[in-house]
Amino acid sequence: MWITSKIKQILMVMKPGIVTLDYPRQPAPAPTTFRGQPVWDHHKCLGCGGCANHCPARCILTRDVCQELRVMLYDGSRCTYCGRCADVCPEDAITMSNNFQTACDDKNDITTRLELFMLTCQRCGRCYEMEKTNVIDRMELRGFRYDNLERRALIRRTTDTFSPETLAATEQYQRPSR
Amino acid sequence: MRKELEAQFAVQLHDAVVCVEKTDQRTIFIDVKREAIRRAARIVTDAGGRYMCGVGYDNIARDGTLGMVHTFSMDQNDYFICIRTKVSAIDPVMESITPDLPSAGWSEREFMDMLGMQFTNHPKPKRLVLADDWPAGIYPLRKEVPYDLVPPGAEDVAYQLDEAPPGTRVVPIGPFHPSLHEPEHFAVYVDGETIKGCDYRGFMTHRGIEKLCQTQVSYNEVPFIAERICGICGSVHATAFSQAVESAGGIKIPRRAEYIRTLMLEIERIHSHLLWLGVAGHLIGFDTVFMQAWRVREQLMWLCERLTGNRKTYGMVLIGGVRRDITSAIADDIRAVVKKIEEELRVIHRAIEKDSSIHKRTKGVGTITKEEAIAWGLIGPVARARGVDVDARRDHPYAAYNDMKFDVPVLTDCDVWSTLVVRVLETYEAIRIIHQVLDKMPSGEIFVELKDKIPALRHAITTVEAPRGESTHYVITGEDNRPDRWRVRAPTYTNLQAVPLMLLNEQFGDFPIIMGSIDPCFSCTDRVAVIDLQSGKARSMTRRELEFLSREQLHRP
Repeated sequence: MWITSKIKQILMVMKPGIVTLDYPRQPAPAPTTFRGQPVWDHHKCLGCGGCANHCPARCILTRDVCQELRVMLYDGSRCTYCGRCADVCPEDAITMSNNFQTACDDKNDITTRLELFMLTCQRCGRCYEMEKTNVIDRMELRGFRYDNLERRALIRRTTDTFSPETLAATEQYQRPSR
Repeated sequence: MRKELEAQFAVQLHDAVVCVEKTDQRTIFIDVKREAIRRAARIVTDAGGRYMCGVGYDNIARDGTLGMVHTFSMDQNDYFICIRTKVSAIDPVMESITPDLPSAGWSEREFMDMLGMQFTNHPKPKRLVLADDWPAGIYPLRKEVPYDLVPPGAEDVAYQLDEAPPGTRVVPIGPFHPSLHEPEHFAVYVDGETIKGCDYRGFMTHRGIEKLCQTQVSYNEVPFIAERICGICGSVHATAFSQAVESAGGIKIPRRAEYIRTLMLEIERIHSHLLWLGVAGHLIGFDTVFMQAWRVREQLMWLCERLTGNRKTYGMVLIGGVRRDITSAIADDIRAVVKKIEEELRVIHRAIEKDSSIHKRTKGVGTITKEEAIAWGLIGPVARARGVDVDARRDHPYAAYNDMKFDVPVLTDCDVWSTLVVRVLETYEAIRIIHQVLDKMPSGEIFVELKDKIPALRHAITTVEAPRGESTHYVITGEDNRPDRWRVRAPTYTNLQAVPLMLLNEQFGDFPIIMGSIDPCFSCTDRVAVIDLQSGKARSMTRRELEFLSREQLHRP
């Protein structure tokens, strides 16, 4: 029956009425459990690099500039907001905020850069206790790391002692291009 | 069942069978010599096997061979049969099984492209996955090819479409077209308004996911990447991958985690079917259904946001369990939301079930018979609308589905309308399952710590019933804390192969809804290869021609 279907359809549309939100004039906050932009607490971070090892998008980079200074760089332009970094952080230095409005015209606005003064004994990565028994998640890449921050590239190479040659070499890193 | 099959193999193939291995309750691996592959496939098909997919893998570093696995599902007896064979990398020739099993066509073409295998007697040995300007002799899935290889492009190469049948004209659809939501190219051969054939050139959204996960990331990063294979059924791929690794490594996950996985999969099914219902309405020009189905769906998206932290790409599944628990407060929230969705969906269902304008566009359209559906190995709602009773949740129970009571709706009208009805009915079943999951969920851990290393070179296969049909994942474990080979067969991969048959002798104006009826997901299908689009140019229509055609279409009686 064509006409009864149409009446039913009109009722179906009338009942809910207008449901779209008047965003952005009417704010629509995300729920508290939302995984939004991750926030780093530089007081808590001890520079173990666990987040960098587990980031599926490879958007957390670690570079040792010298013996005492480690730079951690979070590149928000590539982040998939999976929240894995916050899961594995042994010091709870990373929290997933519920900020989802991250559109910006300069990607440095959503980049976080931590410069951490390191004690040499923490280099080994043994501070990383969280999933010690989990062999699938076992920590790789202990020691000094040389990711290329300018090209936002993870370089899977580490050394036991600080190596200026490796540092210089990875600065020349070129991405594949056509 | 297994004994009979083994006896069959022994009688018919004699010493061509190398060994038979049973790795778990439901998986049987049969190694055969390469001469016997076609006969072996025939034995399994005769015993009631349904072809799932082919898996090629590179074993050159170990023994100089390329491996090929043809996987079958025994739906009646809950078995997976995997026929494995190997060919030397110098002479990688084996017999094609496509003449017997049309649905194997793409699997074989894929590994011609990706691994350089050759299949004799293949009916259509054309490029499937790789771009037309990809240099010959570079096989991206071989281990020696780096994952980030970018060969120089070429402008003067094009895909040779199939010869158009005499008396027909070619109408190109895509790569970008309003009725397609992702890039792929169809050359539709029409005689007047009637479709007489069709050639497909897709795989334009290759992201190299398999290669990436085999070379770069580690086991527990893969579920997050797997989730991004598909924007709709992400949880399905993450669950299937995790189950495959768990099966290969002999990991037993907590029962509560299995329940939560079931819950997420069913929530995903509801949202996917509502999305499809909206898109189907949109494709036949009935936007009221589109708006209302998506309005109903929206509250489920908000629920997922509260539940998992994101509207889509839930990020719930890891190898060993799930990441977030379901508290009793959230359980009540879920119950309330799905109850409301059920009420509202019933309103939509009642409003459209007798609408003659929808019937005219969908009834008797896209018809293929049950026999053809079985021959092409159709799966999911597309098959169930053609009277083929397959459902991986019931046939190969995984996660917590063996505790659930649900019906599998099967209709026999064989057209687009019945796929619509099947999907709506399945949504009600999904809501039923969600209530059961919440009622029966046991307490306990949601994640298990893994004590042992996952042994290398174990094979495992799992299927998960995605909203579109079963999704098959095949994993070979590797040494470097990552899979050595991971093959994803998304449901569209199978269903899309039968689309030319569905289109045959239909009206050209029904192309969008027939295409839409399989709920195509091209990025799932295309996940495989390395880089690059740059497809061939087919002959194109001028704007005037197109305008003319659209007007003709509009005034069609």
